[in-house]
Amino acid sequence: MKTKIRIGLALLLAALTLAGCGDEPGSDLPVNTRLGGDFTLTDHNGEPFRLSSLEDRVVILFFGYTHCPDICPAVLARVAQAYRNLDEQGDAGPVQPVFITFDPERDTPAHLREYLPWFKADIIGLTGSVAEIEAVAEQYGVVFLKTDGQDEAYDFTHSDYIYLLDRQGRVRKLYPADFDIDEVVNDVQSLL
Amino acid sequence: MMFKAFFKPVALAALLALSATPAAAGDLEISGAWLRAVPPVSPTMAGYFELRNRGDRVVKLEGADVDFAGGAMLHDSRTGEDGQRRMVHLDRVRLDPGDRVRFAPGGKHLMLMKLSQVPEAGESVEVCLTFANHDDLCTDFPVRHNAP
Repeated sequence: MKTKIRIGLALLLAALTLAGCGDEPGSDLPVNTRLGGDFTLTDHNGEPFRLSSLEDRVVILFFGYTHCPDICPAVLARVAQAYRNLDEQGDAGPVQPVFITFDPERDTPAHLREYLPWFKADIIGLTGSVAEIEAVAEQYGVVFLKTDGQDEAYDFTHSDYIYLLDRQGRVRKLYPADFDIDEVVNDVQSLL
Repeated sequence: MMFKAFFKPVALAALLALSATPAAAGDLEISGAWLRAVPPVSPTMAGYFELRNRGDRVVKLEGADVDFAGGAMLHDSRTGEDGQRRMVHLDRVRLDPGDRVRFAPGGKHLMLMKLSQVPEAGESVEVCLTFANHDDLCTDFPVRHNAP
């Protein structure tokens, strides 16, 4: 498993290093040609969801799980705040936050449907089989590993980047979990 | 709603005053305590605070007693050499005389589990920190969306 994590990290670092191959005139944000891509998972309504169905929308994509007490709720709150700031400026219409769980066992569509609206950011929650989620994680250079705990108190070791996707679904920027909200708002607006 | 009635919500200004005022139990002092607000269906929530040992003997923090949680654990969110974020369970946190330990987002935190009810932002709930060799230290933790 450690080897898997190292390989994933190496791929991610390579992807970050190679970002910028697809710079476009008029945009300060390079196209990351090594990460991302279309995928299909199951949304919080239990329906198949394909990323490319969000055509012409800027996507804020991030991974986590709802039993995570520290980092994940903080990231959700920050993404939600960024969305609400965009909304106050009339720019949230073409923006879509998307949350993908590492934990399909506990984060069922029904649970995501109850959990996510509290953040008031129109967040789409996605789940799927472990294999499906692993495949998407690999596309985005995300590594996660279930760690054993008592009873149902297991956790995940995971990377925690937030991804900004442009209206063509291409990765344009990655942010750390403690990202600056104004930076994300400005970057999103640069893609509208 | 039952939760509100049980814990008697306090005005936000009063909560801010509470959170800024250190509470003490003998030689221990806690300040800046708060819980991160989470959705009502959330199974967990995290608590943060700063603890200072003003005494002349070692104190070992073990956990917490909270009425609305089935369990409480001391955790540390750490980023490993591989760049991955992981949660580490801490059996105890040792404070030597004069030590100060900070529980803050992205680092050490008190993880409350198996919540029977989830307090809302603006409410304040009592959390009693428990120790291996010291009396409990109880104080009100205001529930907030962001760090004070």
